[in-house]
Amino acid sequence: MYKTTGFISFLLRRVTGVALVLYLFAHIWVLGSAVDGPETFDARLNVVQSPFFKIAEIALLAAVLYHGFDGMRLLIVNYFKVTDARKSLFYAVFALSVILVIAGGIPILLFMFEGLGG
Amino acid sequence: MSNNGSKQTAIVRIQRFNPDTDKKPYFQDFRVSITKDTTILDALHEIKTHQDGSLTYRRSCRHAICGSCAMCVNGKHMLVCNVPMKNHLNRKGRVSIKPLTYLPVIKDLVVDRTSFWEQYLRVKPWLIPLEDVPEKEYRISPDEVAALNNAEKCIMCGACYSACTIVGSNKKYIGPHALLKSFLRILDPRDAGVRERLEEVGTDEGVFRCHTIFNCIDACPKKLDPTKAIETLRGLAIKRQAYEAAKRKRQQTIIEPVLVRE
Repeated sequence: MYKTTGFISFLLRRVTGVALVLYLFAHIWVLGSAVDGPETFDARLNVVQSPFFKIAEIALLAAVLYHGFDGMRLLIVNYFKVTDARKSLFYAVFALSVILVIAGGIPILLFMFEGLGG
Repeated sequence: MSNNGSKQTAIVRIQRFNPDTDKKPYFQDFRVSITKDTTILDALHEIKTHQDGSLTYRRSCRHAICGSCAMCVNGKHMLVCNVPMKNHLNRKGRVSIKPLTYLPVIKDLVVDRTSFWEQYLRVKPWLIPLEDVPEKEYRISPDEVAALNNAEKCIMCGACYSACTIVGSNKKYIGPHALLKSFLRILDPRDAGVRERLEEVGTDEGVFRCHTIFNCIDACPKKLDPTKAIETLRGLAIKRQAYEAAKRKRQQTIIEPVLVRE
């Protein structure tokens, strides 16, 4: 295996891509229950209010942000041919994703603790 | 690591594999006395000559131009003939040498490059001349020559091909070395095979299989940029007909001034 920052970004892109596809099934499982009536929908919605799913939501946020930003990084390389900036762009994408995951993760955690306390 | 004046002892950890006797590769350490000028290839010669004659590796020119001695040193591909050993020793005075990744090992540090050369021939790396050949010479502008510089310096060492993650999982992929060569011919105003070349590389076994991982750039000992060539080819493959027309127009101008007319 030839390990570079490019390889790490590729690996993360693949893992987050697969994670997003798996999330899609869970998403449809919850939303799809709406056709079975409000009771079923509420029951499934309650399942995803548990602390485990709140942590999973933060992981989902991380996957969405990294996958999206990394895609934009590749588009930038593709259109502007800035291959010399490949490592800087990867670090920028990673840092931006981490900052936004923290910014978005804190409210989710607060909501989770509020729910647990209440 | 002992350091005695300008000389020191380095531990060279080499991946060994003999298909006749070994079930799987293993590492063997050798101690070699080096100076600041000793290259990694010098150290391999020292081991082969004085310690273990069975050590097998490729080398030829010793001037970083034949591409024979590309190996994986401390996880990075490089030509071992022009890199000083001292620069690659870790704190314990050790360097790790393995064969190129993602290629079958024939013995020790020698890999089977069959797929590398098959993919190279697939893109027809030679110049396909125009029907009207000028009597003396083609006239190409300095800008056009500069655009080809990236690809012309490739020495076919295999460092990029064997570093490519996609090559590791899909041997049908043409590979960065051959795509770089194809880029050279497609952009060359003297070449008449632009349509068949773009048809060959503009597929999911060519430029559209590349995942832009950049390993080829990081691995290239000549600091070339196959990814940029692949990105350019992607654009040309999408706009193939327009590019063909533009190239035909350009070819008229490189032939006309020097054609001998009856």
